[in-house]
This record gives sequence, C-alpha cells and structure tokens, in this order.
Amino acid sequence: MTDTNESNDTPRDPDEELHDPRTGDEGRFEDQPLRERIAANPRPAAIWVAGLTLLVALQFGAIANFVVNTIPWSLLFGILPSIPGAGSVSAAGQWFADLPALLTRETIPNEGYYVPGEGWQGTFLGLSPAIAWAIRVVLVYAYSFAFLAWVWYAYVLFRRHYRYADWTPRDDIVGRLRTHRWGQFGIVVVLAFLVLALFAPALATAPVEQNIEDPYSHTIEYYDAELGEVTETTVGDANRDSASRGSSSNVGPMTYDEYDRFHPIGTLPSGGDLFTFMAFGARISLLIGLLSLAISGIAAATLALFGAYYKGKLDLSFVVASDSVQAMPRLLLLVLLSVVLADTWLGGLYSGAIVLALIFGATGWPALWRAVRGPALQVSEKEWIDAARSYGQAPTVTMRRHMLPYILGYLLIYASMTLGGIIVGVAGLSFLGLGVDSPTPEWGRAIDAGQDYVTTSSWHISLIPGIFIVLVVTAFNALGDGIRDAIDPQSDVGGDSDDATDEAAAGGTGA
Amino acid sequence: MSRLGYLLRRLLLAIPVVVFGTSLTFLIIRMGPIDPAAAIVGSPDTPSAQQQYERTREQLGLTKPLWEQYVDFMTDLLTFNLGQSWVLSPGTNTYDLILTYAPRTLWLGFWSILIAILFGIPLGFYAGLNPNTRIDYFVSFGGIVWRAMPNFWLAIILLALFAQSQQYFFGFDWSNFVVQSPVTGAYEFSDITTRDGFIREFKRVLPAALVLGSASMGNEMRIGRTAVLETINSNYVETAKAKGLSAKKIVWKHVFRNALIPLVPVITSEAFLLIGGAVLVEVVFGINGLGYLFFQAVINGDLPLVASLMYVFIIVLVGVNILQDLLYTIIDPRVGLEEGGA
Repeated sequence: MTDTNESNDTPRDPDEELHDPRTGDEGRFEDQPLRERIAANPRPAAIWVAGLTLLVALQFGAIANFVVNTIPWSLLFGILPSIPGAGSVSAAGQWFADLPALLTRETIPNEGYYVPGEGWQGTFLGLSPAIAWAIRVVLVYAYSFAFLAWVWYAYVLFRRHYRYADWTPRDDIVGRLRTHRWGQFGIVVVLAFLVLALFAPALATAPVEQNIEDPYSHTIEYYDAELGEVTETTVGDANRDSASRGSSSNVGPMTYDEYDRFHPIGTLPSGGDLFTFMAFGARISLLIGLLSLAISGIAAATLALFGAYYKGKLDLSFVVASDSVQAMPRLLLLVLLSVVLADTWLGGLYSGAIVLALIFGATGWPALWRAVRGPALQVSEKEWIDAARSYGQAPTVTMRRHMLPYILGYLLIYASMTLGGIIVGVAGLSFLGLGVDSPTPEWGRAIDAGQDYVTTSSWHISLIPGIFIVLVVTAFNALGDGIRDAIDPQSDVGGDSDDATDEAAAGGTGA
Repeated sequence: MSRLGYLLRRLLLAIPVVVFGTSLTFLIIRMGPIDPAAAIVGSPDTPSAQQQYERTREQLGLTKPLWEQYVDFMTDLLTFNLGQSWVLSPGTNTYDLILTYAPRTLWLGFWSILIAILFGIPLGFYAGLNPNTRIDYFVSFGGIVWRAMPNFWLAIILLALFAQSQQYFFGFDWSNFVVQSPVTGAYEFSDITTRDGFIREFKRVLPAALVLGSASMGNEMRIGRTAVLETINSNYVETAKAKGLSAKKIVWKHVFRNALIPLVPVITSEAFLLIGGAVLVEVVFGINGLGYLFFQAVINGDLPLVASLMYVFIIVLVGVNILQDLLYTIIDPRVGLEEGGA
C-alpha cells in the first residue's frame, strides 16, 4: 500500500497540508493520513495496484535490467571501499535483470534472414523483419501510453475517492490543458521522444553494440545466394556493404540491405542503422538535457529565492554575475569549455556526456534565473512573506514553503522551452566534432556524417535527424506554451517583456 | 533619474560585468589542461625543443605566479593591448586578424538582421491584423517551425539546395543567376562598390543570412503578431475608432508604432545570436569570419587569441545591451529608468 500512498500523494495541493483551525474544531476534516482514507475505502486503490502490478510484471525483467545494468553503480559507489555483501547483491540483481520481459528484442526478434523456399528464419513468427520490428514498436508505444494512462487514472481515482476538497486550483490547470490542442501536441511528441529514449534497446532495429559501437566483434548470419547456404559474417563487413554514400551505394528508408536487415530510415555512411543511431542518440540528448536543466534549474531557483528575499546588494551581485556569463556568446563559450575540458577525467565520463551536461548547466542558469527572478520578486512583496518574517520563521523555510511553489511553475515552463535549445546545442557541438565522442550515437553527428550526401540518393542521413530535432524542439516549446497557458491563463495578454524572455529562452544557444 | 544619469549608471554597472566576464575567461583558459606553450611549440621531447618550450613559457609569462599572470592578463585586455596570435598565424597582431576577419561576419550579420526584419515583422503584423485566418495559421506555425530548426542543419540543407538549384527549382540556376557566384567560400569585397560585385556578394551572403536570421525571423513573426493583437484590443484604439478615424490611419499611426516597442529587445538581442551562432554557419558555408577564427583558435589551442577575441565579444555584447536599454527608454518613455539593472 505504501506504493499507492506515494504515487497518490503527488497531486495533492500543498495548501491542504496546512491545518485549518476552524475545520479542525469540528473534527470531521481533521487531517486523516491518506493511508487511513484508503483503508476506509480500499476497493479503487486495490484495483489500481493490481493493474500496476500487471503492467510492471510484463516488463519486470527490463526494469530490473535497467536498474542493475544501465545505471553506473560502480561509478556511483566506486569511490567507497567495497561494501561487504556487494557481490551477492549484484548477483541477485543480475538474476532479476535476466528475467524475461515482454517487450524486448528477444521476445519479438526482428533479425533474421530469408531462405528461398523456406521463408524468414529467426524472426518473430516467421514474419518479415520489417513487420516484426513494426509490431515491437507498436507494442512498446501501446505499453508506454497504457502505463501513463494508468498513472493518470491514479490521479482521477484520488480525486474521486480520496481527496477531501471537491475543487483545488490544480483542477483548473488540468482542465485548461484539456482544451489546449497545441500543448497536447507537445505532450504527445515529448512523450514519444521520452519513450524512444527509455526503450531504445527494444525499439532499435539492431543492438547498438553490435551495429554501431563494435561491429567487428559481432557476427550475423545471412543466406548467401551464390553459395546457396546460410553463412556467418561480422557485422562490420556487413555494414561496409550496406553503407549509404550517395550514388555508389545506398540503403534508403524502408529498405532491406543485402544481409536481410531492415532499415526503417536507412543507413549511415558507415553502414550502421540510422534508426538505432537515433534511438540511442535520443538517450544521450535527454540525459544531457535533463542533467544540465537540473543543475541550472536548482541554481536559478536558489539565486532567485535568495535574491528576492534579501534584495539589494545580494540581488545586484547576482545580476552582475549572470550578466557576465551572458555577456559571453553562449555557443562560443560552450565551444571553448568543451575543448578545454575534453582532456580532463571529467571529459571521459560517459563519452563526454557528463561534461557537456555540466557545461550546459553552468552556462544555462542565467537565462532560467532571469525568467524566474520577476515572479520571485513579485511574491517577495506579498504580505504573507512579511508576516512569516515577523513571525520569526527562518528565511530558508519561508523561501521554501511560501515562495518556491510560486516560481516552480515558471521554472517548469522555461525548463521545457530550454530543453529544446539544449538538444540543438548538443547537436551543434557534435556537428563541430566537439560534443559526444564517436562511436556513441548523437544526433548532430548523423547530420554531420550526411553533410556531403544531401543532394544524392542518400539524402536521408542529414535530413531525417534534422526533422527529428525540429519536431522535438517544437514539441518542447509547445509543451512550455501549454503549461504556461494552463498555469497562468492571463499571461498570453500580459506583459510584453515576458514574451521576449520566452522567445529568448526558446531560441537557446543560437546553434 | 535623468536619461544621462541612467546612461552613466548603466555604464557603471557594465564595468563589473566586463571585468567579471574577462576573469571567467582567464579562469577557463588557465585552469584547463591545455598548456599554451606546448600548443605553440609542440611537446618538449628533445633538449632543444625543451629549451624552446622554456623560452616560450617565459615569453608568455607562464613562469610568473598565477596572480601576477592574472593581473597582467587583465591590464593588457582592459587597456586594449590585445597581443598577437601564437599558433594560428604566429606573430600577427590580434587587431590585424580582427580587421581581416570581421568584415565578413559584419556583412553576414547585417544581411541576416535586415532580411529577418524585412520578412519577419511584416508577416507577423499581417498575421496579427488578420487573426485566425489561414494566413495567420500559416505564419504562426511557420514561425515556430522556422525557429525550431537547428541553424547548422538548415545551413546544410540550404547549401545543398542552392548549390544544385537546377535540380530542385526546375532548371533555375542560382550560381549563374545575373552574375556568376560560388555558393561557398569567403566573401570578396574588393569590387563591392560596383553593381556586379555587389550583386555577387549579396547572392553569396543570402543563403547564410537566411539561416543565421532564421531564429530571429521566427521570433519577430510571433512577437509582432502578439504585439499587434494586443494593441488592436487596447482602449486607445477603441477610442480612435469611436472618434471616426480611418482604419488606415489607426493601423499605421496607432497600432504599428506601439507594436514596434516589444520588438526592440528582439532585434537587439539578435546580436547575441549572430556573434554566437555565426560559428556553425561560417563553418558550413566556408566563410572565414570571426566565429570561424574563434573556433580555429580554440581547437588549435591559440589561447592568447581566444582570450582577446572573447574580450572583444564581451565588450560588443555589453555595448549592445546598453544600447538596447537606451533605445527602450527613448521609444517608450513609460519604461522606468530606475529598473535599469535588470
């Protein structure tokens, strides 16, 4: 039950936690913990938990695998002396990680070969690789959206059965998003992007280590028509024959190569599968984006709160600091920092993604801070801040309880809009050969690789990744617009300067 | 506060910004693992190379304590003693380098600002005057997508389209249109005053300027549209209508003038995008302008040049910022002179 407790608790309005002395006297509205409310009416919660268990069970192996193998535990705990019993823990984790999951490439394999007269070998139900892959993609997206719908249903149940208040301001925010088509477009595309990143191993047409990172250490089987038998070859050799290099050789979108491998959006000049490249590239873009936003968001919120609470000299010093960072052209600063830091130990972490995230975080806080400084200053003028101060509440508590909730929404809006800019910026750096090291996939490098083939039959290499970026960036902007209109419906007709900050935030790095 | 006082205050506030920004540059360059001396003479393997390495360290002042290096660094830059390039083109004065490279970037920047203004603002205003029509949707959506395109990607695509224009535009040959001009490469200003020379250079700058101005154009469309919508619904426009002013006069005299105000910061902030974003566009189009120079200096470890260029950029951007605030107070006197720091 603790599980539901947590997930149901999130949509609660912070104001509810405050005791209202009037209602408290009557006793009826005395703050009963959510656990007791659920105990009084367990049926909806039980149904929900059953559904969640089912959904998790379908993918349990993959989730465990993600927890055990994708998160760099050795990196996180490597500094500490070895913990006794760590070996057995990791063995148990590995056992969980090896449990079968429904939506993996092993359950629905799409890699196989065609033998004349016998049909497809090694693929799911003997279907063609294209169809097997398409089934997997549809299932993954259906599963993800079902999961999200179920999480949403938790909120609906909470609202219907367990919440005291019939109405909270948050209901209006949700209601406004319901009719905001543009914002919904943003949400759908952003979710599709997140699923692409999260489920990259299952969505990709081939495993990334096999196809892109280390093709010469892996082999595949194919039917050699000349020999008339099934032959084995290294992926590297196969890739060499399925490279997209303009008129001399080309494997375009929605085609098979000579080794019966299906390429939904064609191949790279190296012969690797472009879709696999994009799926894993989405991962690294998202990681850099979220990490850098976390860094700059925390910095921006902290500075905005302290600056707004203490005002005066402190605020002025923040203005000078942020102006100084912003006085350097952002993209040039990024170029400089990524070159300078490339050879340090930081630059080696996760193919340089960590250092990029740090760089984007360190150069991105002024824009975010500027966006939330206004709202923070406005809140700090309210009488309840004065009241809290005269009541003797500690400044940090006042900031956290009475100021932070008001700027969080704005932070979210600008974070969403900035994320698109960061994705473009990372791609731009990779395009210049600075960002993420080869062979780790990154979208900008695909565009760079296809640069010479734009007007040839291999047009897909540059064009399709670019369209992906445009779509994702537009979606993040749309999401930001949607959140803004939902949180603050007046903002659209409000101040002009707000708009200018919006546009500047969305413009990003100028890449 | 008078306008002069305001200007003085802004200038005063700009000093710590410049000093702090330059110090940050020093920090990044000196704290990083790049050894400027090794970048210049190569790694010291042989004794003679070692000697040369030591000599270069001496010349660069790297043997002094760090705080002294910092003081030297700051005094040199703040007195506009920008030094010279060490790796990229050894011995050349930074001023000479900037004078050689800057005109190309300025030419590119000028046209990208102008094209963005000439297309973006009219389109945005038109959309604002005819809200919720098909053209409005087209402009709004186009602006959003146009802005979301990564510059370097757009540059590649446009470069390909212009270079092979016969293939895509029904036989229209861009390279030989009016005057013959290559699509990529550095600009040639020797005969810019002649008609043919001007057209040639304009043709050459057009694709790059479209790319570099793309983000600003999208911004101008969107902000122009909202600004016009806002002014149309304001009370003084209602009043003007009520007293029987012609629609033409209302639009030109009352709506457009006021709608231009929020566009000022957008236009001036283009300077940021232009200086920063020029790197990628210049790399794709093979224009050796300032962005390209900076990029080359960075990857070749020409740190003295990097620092000087960064200092120049900081000065320019801070200057543009001050100019923007001043323009704002002139165009819109309602803007408070006190809230200048923000």
